[in-house]
Amino acid sequence: MNAMTLPELYRARPRNLVVRGSLMAMLILIAGVWLSGEFLDPQAFTDKRQENVARFLNELRPNPLQSASFDVTLALTWAHSIMQEKGWDALRITLAISFAAITLAGIFGGLLALPAARNLTRSEPFVINRTTCSRMTNLIWSILVGATRLLLIFLRAIPEYVWAFLLLALLGPTAWPAVLALALHNTGVFGKLAAEVIEDLPAGPLRSMTGMGASRLQVAAFTILPLTLPRLLLFFFYRWETCVREATVLGMLGIVSLGFWIQDARARNFYDEMFFLILLGALIVLLGEVISTWARWHVRRAS
Amino acid sequence: MLSGLQLENVGVSFEATRALEDVNLHLEQGEAVALVGLSGAGKTTLLHTCNAMVSPSTGRVLINGQDLSKISSHALKIARINIGFIHQDLSLVPNLRVIQNVVSGRLGRRSLIGGARDLLFPAGDVTERVYDILTSVGIAEKIYERTDHLSGGQQQRVAIARALFQEPQFLLADEPISSVDPVRAEATIALLKTLCAERNITLLMSLHNLKLATTFFPRLVALREGRVVFDKATDTVLPSELEAIFDLTESSPVSEEARDFEDRLGGRFG
Amino acid sequence: MAGLAEATASSGQRRWILIAIVASGIWASITLDLYPALLVPGQGGLAVVTEFFSYALSPVTTYQSKVPEGTKPLAAQALLAAWHTVKFAAAAMGLSLVGGISLGFLSSYSLMIETRRGITRVIGGTIYAIARLTITLMRSIHELLWAVLFLAAFGISQLGAVIALALPCAGILAKIFSELIDETPRHAAHAAEAAGASPIQIYCFILAPQALPNILAYSFYRFECALRSSAVLGFFGYPTLGFYIAASFENLYYGEVWVYLYTLFLLVAAVDLWSGAIRKRLA
Repeated sequence: MNAMTLPELYRARPRNLVVRGSLMAMLILIAGVWLSGEFLDPQAFTDKRQENVARFLNELRPNPLQSASFDVTLALTWAHSIMQEKGWDALRITLAISFAAITLAGIFGGLLALPAARNLTRSEPFVINRTTCSRMTNLIWSILVGATRLLLIFLRAIPEYVWAFLLLALLGPTAWPAVLALALHNTGVFGKLAAEVIEDLPAGPLRSMTGMGASRLQVAAFTILPLTLPRLLLFFFYRWETCVREATVLGMLGIVSLGFWIQDARARNFYDEMFFLILLGALIVLLGEVISTWARWHVRRAS
Repeated sequence: MLSGLQLENVGVSFEATRALEDVNLHLEQGEAVALVGLSGAGKTTLLHTCNAMVSPSTGRVLINGQDLSKISSHALKIARINIGFIHQDLSLVPNLRVIQNVVSGRLGRRSLIGGARDLLFPAGDVTERVYDILTSVGIAEKIYERTDHLSGGQQQRVAIARALFQEPQFLLADEPISSVDPVRAEATIALLKTLCAERNITLLMSLHNLKLATTFFPRLVALREGRVVFDKATDTVLPSELEAIFDLTESSPVSEEARDFEDRLGGRFG
Repeated sequence: MAGLAEATASSGQRRWILIAIVASGIWASITLDLYPALLVPGQGGLAVVTEFFSYALSPVTTYQSKVPEGTKPLAAQALLAAWHTVKFAAAAMGLSLVGGISLGFLSSYSLMIETRRGITRVIGGTIYAIARLTITLMRSIHELLWAVLFLAAFGISQLGAVIALALPCAGILAKIFSELIDETPRHAAHAAEAAGASPIQIYCFILAPQALPNILAYSFYRFECALRSSAVLGFFGYPTLGFYIAASFENLYYGEVWVYLYTLFLLVAAVDLWSGAIRKRLA
């Protein structure tokens, strides 16, 4: 038994080089970007700036109140008129976009998760001993998994806003661009999460089904779906919450959700209305979070 | 004022159960005492009462004459620095290195900066001291390993090292050999006894292995359903008395709630 | 799960949830007039769509637009835009980490309330409440809406854009940090308390290290999100990838659009793979 001395033990200590290296790289990048000074605005705090900011903050207050003193009824009537004109509609549309998009993403993401799951998409799923299939067959299955995964990554990588921008020009001014943009991006996200859930499944119950002669699709429908459903529902509601958030903003491209009216108010310099609608957006995002948390609590309790 | 550890008429209630009832105990500085009894009899509760992690509903606990329930939280913190505890579930931080877990035992004596220094860039003499303690428990070469990469028995020894590094006057050990195989168990208890004797540390250890208790400890305190059945020198204990503590045919066995309470304190169910 | 009654009840609850989902989907389609027929573009539209997607498989390597002499090649332009995207995201991450850790401290139940008694508990509770409120406000407003707000207030400003990205990110990080630490098992913390450690020491040296792997993993995921948001900022005039996508698209140079799209894809995919590798090694 060769006993190591303390300094030798120190040099030989287990180190996680990838993690440490990545951390160092990130910190150097962040420090470098800030130290280069291009984000430090020397004009940020001049007197003229402060005047402008003060004036802007004043303009955020509801228009009827800007000259008069604070009056609750005036503020409420002003708020009420905004809601009547555009607020309620915008909320309805924003919510509708989020529901439609997440439902589509759930369906197609779930479907795409099947060919993306490595334990399902192989020549002989769930079989313990190695296969008797040719190398060619194995290769084809691998290509299928790889291609699906690549597609999911691509759908995920492009931000929803970019998808919406492109689709708006291609499909015209209906609600489809917003819905599809959110659906495409979230199909990528949901598909990846669902594939990971499938891959994490214990092989036991799946193996027994295969042993009874079930095909992959039958195994998927009758065993995988019930087993993964609780976790998938959790992801589903979590992504719905994100969809609500993004749906408010997609309006800025022209679909008539909340973002549209925000952009509109800004263009017309009605900063008070713009601020009110931004806060309304925050409110609906919060509401979405509350509902999502409640729904996920129920799903957890039910399993 | 008596020195050492003293429990006076201590009773502990938890919801409807009475975990400890009318416990009187006195340990002189440097004594080694074994606490025996069935699971759920109150051994873990008693140990946790000794350093005020559990408050007694009646009676008081005195460390070197100081009543732990009457002092300020700052003074309590100071008192606890002198009391080492080896938990049933070890309570180590799994993803820290062994050396970091050991130095965390002395956080009470260090400031915030000092603690950070010890954990991240320990000074040479600190490292040397940790190495020496780890050598005496036999796992010196694991000093820089991640704690959750060690076996159960090795982790137990890390917990012991942490308690010793604290340099306490009193050491409370809750079933410190539960995850150790029988051969190692004897060696571990012998080691603890020797180290405590060397440093004149008062040792109170709970065991449910009677043979080890009678072999290594000159004094036995037996608990049954929260009460002290006897408290005397080991060589004066009769075999019938020992059987009586563990007798399950009596009409009032250990209640479910009492055992749950003990388990939760000991950390078995988190 | 004990008992047939409970099992039936829980599957019944799941059925209600599924029904609710389907119902909301149907309501949504009706509200939005989502007829599948509308997906099919008209005559002119079809030509645009086919032209657009034809470039997907054969992106160009030189500019389709007329560019002045000496403009850097398309590939370099794309890489430069990607680099700007990374810079904005990194700057925002820096602010978010600082803000997220500080607010995570102040909004942590473990530090502000759990180990405190008496007057310090009241003070801690107040700080906790205020911090939670601030975080909720920060993260409920989308980063693009913050950007709009700052645009109206300050005009185009790179610092403003970075702050706009950082605010909701810091809020989310603070929330996740404090939740991760609050959910850490408390065994080691109790042991430290029994050895005389102070609440702050317990928080920093016992609880935080246990939560650290998850915190790091999540932070890398957030960086990936920051990259995407940074790209979108380009639509508002900032020099990230979104700017070039929008400009080329509006001028109908679809080949260039696909070059920038693929650049964005490669950038995000690379970071995604990287953070996945890190997550595996942290587990």
